Amino acid sequence: MENPLQARPAGGGNPADVASASTRLIWTRWAAGLLVLAATAISVRAVGLPLPERPLYLIGLSILAYNSLLVVLAPRLATPDSEDYLRRLRRFVILQVALDWASMIAFVHLTGGVTSPAIPFFGIHMLMVTILLPVPTPYFYVGLAGGALGLLSILERSGRLAHYNILPALPPGLFRDPLYILAVIAFFLAASAATVVLAADVMERLRERERQVAALLQTTQAISSTLSLPEVLQRLTVSAAHALREQRASIRLLDETGEKLPMVAAYGLSEAYQTKGPVVVRRSSIDDEALSGKVVYVRDAAADPRIQYPEFIVREGIGSMIVAPILGRSGPLGVLRVYSSRPDGFAQDAAAFAQAIARQGAVAIENALAHEALQREDQLRAQFVRTVTHELRGPVGGAQSLLRVLIKTSQASLTETQRDILARVEVRLDALQSLINDLLALAVSKTVGFQETATPQALQPVLHRIIEQIAAEATDKQIDLALDSPDETLLVRGTEDGLAQIYGNLIGNAVKFTPSGGRVTVHVAEVDGQAVTTISDTGIGIPEQDLPRLWQEFFRASNARASKIVGTGLGLSIVKRLVETFGGRIQVHSLEGQGTTFTVWLPLSETSSSG
Amino acid sequence: MAKILIIDDDPDMVLATRMCLESGGHQVVDASSPAEGLQKVKSEKPDLLVLDVMMDTATAGFQTALTLRSTDADSEFAAFRRMPIIMLTAIHSTTPLRFGPDSEYLPVDTFVDKPLDPDKFLKTVNELLASRK
Repeated sequence: MENPLQARPAGGGNPADVASASTRLIWTRWAAGLLVLAATAISVRAVGLPLPERPLYLIGLSILAYNSLLVVLAPRLATPDSEDYLRRLRRFVILQVALDWASMIAFVHLTGGVTSPAIPFFGIHMLMVTILLPVPTPYFYVGLAGGALGLLSILERSGRLAHYNILPALPPGLFRDPLYILAVIAFFLAASAATVVLAADVMERLRERERQVAALLQTTQAISSTLSLPEVLQRLTVSAAHALREQRASIRLLDETGEKLPMVAAYGLSEAYQTKGPVVVRRSSIDDEALSGKVVYVRDAAADPRIQYPEFIVREGIGSMIVAPILGRSGPLGVLRVYSSRPDGFAQDAAAFAQAIARQGAVAIENALAHEALQREDQLRAQFVRTVTHELRGPVGGAQSLLRVLIKTSQASLTETQRDILARVEVRLDALQSLINDLLALAVSKTVGFQETATPQALQPVLHRIIEQIAAEATDKQIDLALDSPDETLLVRGTEDGLAQIYGNLIGNAVKFTPSGGRVTVHVAEVDGQAVTTISDTGIGIPEQDLPRLWQEFFRASNARASKIVGTGLGLSIVKRLVETFGGRIQVHSLEGQGTTFTVWLPLSETSSSG
Repeated sequence: MAKILIIDDDPDMVLATRMCLESGGHQVVDASSPAEGLQKVKSEKPDLLVLDVMMDTATAGFQTALTLRSTDADSEFAAFRRMPIIMLTAIHSTTPLRFGPDSEYLPVDTFVDKPLDPDKFLKTVNELLASRK
């Protein structure tokens, strides 16, 4: 896993931040240039100060001029994705700073040199430089500014440069007084350095906070994008280590007894360290303390008496470590450890940060555990259903087989009544077998795992097979059963069994509920990325008031119940479940006494060539 | 008129199949476990085998068929490799391999669904026997 979190240096490290600060600087400069022009005009015309007007206008205009150049240059800096973007950006910023430095010195000279009231403006520059460029450049700038001011004072004092006294109340020889010059420069350097120190500290903390937030976000994303417990644990160790700028971490989770803490995930640790031996909670005061809810910071691991395996600590080169509890909703789950090679190698807020990461980890771990439990339960349920139906089917199947054979082989020697009774028994047994099969189908369609077994299936072959199976019954009842489908094979997402259930039920029902001489038509078409199948019959139809409850389990329409046609009432609920599991939908239109049409939409899994 | 061996642990299924086949003029021997069944294959030398898909375990039936059709040169059942095998299976079974035997994967000739339809069953048996003559 790449580690962008460690790559960013403190101070001016994020290209996006530097770029936006640089833009802000350019906009501020417009104001500065205009302000110079305006202030000069007002000071001379309105207030009457003896300012060197023309040179000052020149400075203002040149500020505006080079700012325009910078505006033009800015977008040509190279695309933000290129490798040297940050380097070019920094050089651009340095160019701006250099130009500003020059105009500032000129401005100070024109407003009195060492006696200029504008000297404090340098403070703005100090702040901008500290924000934009990494330490130690700002200190270098302090030196340059102070040095330039010193040079200016010396040149003006020796007469090589003109001196402009803009405040008439000032003593005329002040700018020559060595003590004055020294004092001004000394205070200037002190104030500037202090500004840089404080600003750099604020920037450093800001950047570190930003980095921590980004690290926490990335950790959360990584661990909650999977429900597999081993994946979650692995990603958590890696993310936690990188977030704290380290290369080694491990997770120990309480086992079922709650007494041992086996290591379940490790990053950057040697095989030997991972298998060094069991950690028993009661005997490890560090873990005991952590599990009670407190983050433990072991400053000097090699010398700490609480460590259970000190020789392994030394061999692994671990200097210090943070042990953060992973707290679940109903109690501690385990501990997260991050290791540093240096004693006291973690920053002050590292422990709290590790705790925040462990908290995120707890959520993801509990989700993964819940998912595992759900899958196990699902498997158990599926196994139960299979076992029960097998146990039910065996006896019923045995009874049916015997009965059928009896009826067949003793036709001649049976009385009317005996034949009648045997026939009724056969009907009841057939109904029971039918119900068992339907219950099994319903139970299977309700298991979560079932949904995951859907794959692309060819639709037409399934329909053909169903129609073949029902053909005999249709012919017996003189029903015209026809299939109309496109030549190219349509692939829908589903299972072979599931599709057979859906269409077996619908087409079977159509034939079942259509009286002699009727017609059942199955029509397939591709519409808007879906396979649309309509099954229409000229059967007994469904009463309007029964339509809303049609899909309920065990519901049979009133006219179906009144007829002698057998049914469990489960068929349509199974069909609807399966259709919806495969991502489709089903609709029914019916007129009692005239016929019924079922329409099934199933999304196509992919476009297919003619089959 | 053939000798048919049925291997099934359900005595009712054995009785039903026996009555059905005997009414069709065949001779029937039975076994109630895979082990006993394999023994009787060697001792009775049947012309056709009817095998239940699940006995003690979900795969007992298939295992038996695989053993009989083993391609090992020194298999003790080498002589019976061509013997037709019908597998009795439950409809809508959730185990895979439901639709028709594929000789590459399944060592049986055809599936017959339980419960038995006597006429269809007899027809299937007779057709299989005829194809082997």
